[in-house]
Amino acid sequence: MSETILSVKNIVKTYPNGVQALKGVSFDVKKGEFLVIIGLSGSGKSTLLRCLNRLHDPTSGEIIFNDNNAQIDIAKIEHKNDIRNLRKRMGMIFQHFNLIPRHTVLSNVLMGKLSTIGTLKSIFGLFSATDIADAMKYLKLVGIAEKAYIRADQLSGGQQQRVAIARALTQNPKVLLADEPVASLDPATCHTVMDYLRKVNQELGITIICNLHFLSLVRQYATRVIALKGGELMYEGDPKNIDDAWFERIYGAGAKEVHIN
Amino acid sequence: MNNQNNNSNSNIRRNILDGFSFAFLAVVILFVIFNPTETQQLNLKLNSIIFFIAYVLGAVISHFLNSRGIKTLGEYLFEPSYKKAVETKSMFKSFWGWHLVGLLALLFVVGIFKTKFSIIELLNEDGFNGAKRLFAGIADPNWKILPEAVLNIIETIFMAFMATVLAIPFAFFLSFVSARNIMNGKYTFWIYLAMRTVFNVTRSIEALLWAIIFSVWVGIGPFAGMLALMIHSIASLSKQYSEMVETVNEGPIEGVQSCGANKLQTIWFAIVPQVVLPYISFTVYRWDINVRMATIIGLVGGGGIGTMLIQYQGQAMWSEVGTIIVVIAAVVWIMDQASAYIREALK
Repeated sequence: MSETILSVKNIVKTYPNGVQALKGVSFDVKKGEFLVIIGLSGSGKSTLLRCLNRLHDPTSGEIIFNDNNAQIDIAKIEHKNDIRNLRKRMGMIFQHFNLIPRHTVLSNVLMGKLSTIGTLKSIFGLFSATDIADAMKYLKLVGIAEKAYIRADQLSGGQQQRVAIARALTQNPKVLLADEPVASLDPATCHTVMDYLRKVNQELGITIICNLHFLSLVRQYATRVIALKGGELMYEGDPKNIDDAWFERIYGAGAKEVHIN
Repeated sequence: MNNQNNNSNSNIRRNILDGFSFAFLAVVILFVIFNPTETQQLNLKLNSIIFFIAYVLGAVISHFLNSRGIKTLGEYLFEPSYKKAVETKSMFKSFWGWHLVGLLALLFVVGIFKTKFSIIELLNEDGFNGAKRLFAGIADPNWKILPEAVLNIIETIFMAFMATVLAIPFAFFLSFVSARNIMNGKYTFWIYLAMRTVFNVTRSIEALLWAIIFSVWVGIGPFAGMLALMIHSIASLSKQYSEMVETVNEGPIEGVQSCGANKLQTIWFAIVPQVVLPYISFTVYRWDINVRMATIIGLVGGGGIGTMLIQYQGQAMWSEVGTIIVVIAAVVWIMDQASAYIREALK
């Protein structure tokens, strides 16, 4: 629990249009923890997650990834194959699930094997029996195996997010990034998805870094929380210690907390 | 920065429109005053210099008027949206309104002279009788040539079909090479620009001209017509396809990339599923268009029903022409309906 898996040091991201989304953010991520990032929309949460798996390229700073006692600086990776290798070890789920709508659930989950299969084989859909068994295993884990041959766009939002979790797990990742995974779900489904994330965290020991909006959810699921405001780190620590004063500092004066059950 | 850019772009467009309309007016006035001979009219160098000077003068006048707050037509059309105010004045009390009316009137008058428009010719009895014979022939088709016409229209349909089918793989590949969201690298952006230019040039050369080129190259016949249609189809489909690629939802792309997909896998799994239905829809429509174009292309030696039509027309055999027109109309109507139904079903 104490081993550091990710060490973010002074990360800066400036977009080509001049917007500075991250202004030197530093924090550590411990192995096996459920870290939640909170902050207003536009505070840099999504950018931060996308820098971690290099969907975005950070402008400067270091991101040290400790995997199997080998250290790599994610921010410095340049070669495409190395980025693929990194993404193989970092699953990601999104607010809008980002599944391929016209493909079956199983075919979507098999996307998690894209980094290990040859390009031509993948294009002709020649996934091996072990790959398929693996995909089915994780579909079972998120309790949706019976939908394997249904088109992904036929599922409800919560079910689609579970498929997305299965897809990320099929990569066999060390870290799972979750970009507002419940922001487009209703309160009931919201908890189902969060419960599965906790299950993944506790049973498979996968480190989770998750962007969230609702503090009630944060208190319930996070083991640790960091808060961003305007691209800067505001708070780092136990979610239970976020009181009204901190809440106002993070979300601005006059903000009211919304509870969801 | 962006605003400034928009501003200078709209100023350039305004100056071109105003400059041309002034130069047009000036040239017409000069023509009426000097009444030049044919050799003088053919002196392209001198005439274009005169036109250019008038154009520059017009642009300057336009600039002067607009800086004084008098809105010209170019300013009214191209001014950036943030400057646009609600017009309370009637358009006939404004400069741009009379600018527009004057320009249209002048264009119309010059058009009458240029097209040698003549009511007398239209009502001439001899000519009118000729047209009556033609219509009588068409209205009374000669069904003896129907088998020949059917064979020829089948040739036309297959010309269009082959042109469309052979264009698909090229257009499919080129659509990704010419989509901005895929060619977003440092060097690949230049490939994107180059491809777009090639498509625009290729499409601006009508299929009719391609048919002339290919009928010299491979000889008159359906093969030349098919090649001409194919070139045109590749350019048109590539552009339509690549526009579809540019409007795809970014979500699945991120999703697949986060799994470690490479570029080819990203295109295949995240983009292709999103564009395949519109692709099929465009392609069916293209076949439909190609059947109509193949008829016209036959007129210049592209084979099929068009070539047959031009032969009978040359001999003034109007009953036979009538048969061919009926066959063409029937096939075009059927293709049109069929492609509409297929495209509807694909939605």
